[in-house]
Amino acid sequence: MSTPARRRLMRDFKRLQQDPPAGVSAAPTENNIMIWNAVIFGPHDTPFEDGTFKLTLEFTEEYPNKPPTVKFVSKMFHPNVYADGGICLDILQNRWSPTYDVAAILTSIQSLLDEPNPNSPANSLAAQLYQENRREYEKRVAAIVEQSWLNFQDEDEGEDMKKDT
Amino acid sequence: MFTLKKWNAVAMWSWDVECDTCAICRVQVMDACLRCQGENKQDDCVVIWGECNHSFHNCCMSLWVKQNNRCPLCQQEWSTQAKGVNFTRLLISEGRWAGEQEV
Repeated sequence: MSTPARRRLMRDFKRLQQDPPAGVSAAPTENNIMIWNAVIFGPHDTPFEDGTFKLTLEFTEEYPNKPPTVKFVSKMFHPNVYADGGICLDILQNRWSPTYDVAAILTSIQSLLDEPNPNSPANSLAAQLYQENRREYEKRVAAIVEQSWLNFQDEDEGEDMKKDT
Repeated sequence: MFTLKKWNAVAMWSWDVECDTCAICRVQVMDACLRCQGENKQDDCVVIWGECNHSFHNCCMSLWVKQNNRCPLCQQEWSTQAKGVNFTRLLISEGRWAGEQEV
């Protein structure tokens, strides 16, 4: 069934394909346009460089009047990301505007990576290290960057196995 | 030398707006919004302007202001400057807009 929210998401998808923003990619899941998978590439010249971080976006029929629920699936170490992958970002909560689309959400999260807001910490250790021990912070980030590649390898291998059987 | 036998004036118009796409549903404000297209209510879909000069489909905006009374583009407190019908759509629906034919 086509609803205004679903048609808006089709437009978001079309725009993503025609005018793909740098460093992010996303697509709806095969059988449900209300659930999307996305990848954010860690921005250059930041500790997150070369990371390939997977996320999910879950929309409701109230989209775009209500924001989607966005979560990191890949392990993240960031002052504004909760242990369950949930993201503390104003535009996904009280500063949401119905003019945002999937591309805008993902590019905002991408810029949040290198511009954390230590005033609203979701991961207190990450916030503390970011402010007090930047070397240790970057070491922890480097570890999750490496982990983000492993996630992708697992998936590739899984798909290869499916082909074999 | 010659006489003027017939004289036709043509008027072109478009909305006096900064951006002709409704930033909420991403459809041009000249067309009906996504909701009205789906419900076949194209004729009722009008444009609304704020004091900030941003414009949207009235349907899209009325749903948003219910939860947050500010302009989705500039975050200013929303107050309506004008509401308009879409004349082209109105004329088409009344059969008065038939291409080359003189109105």
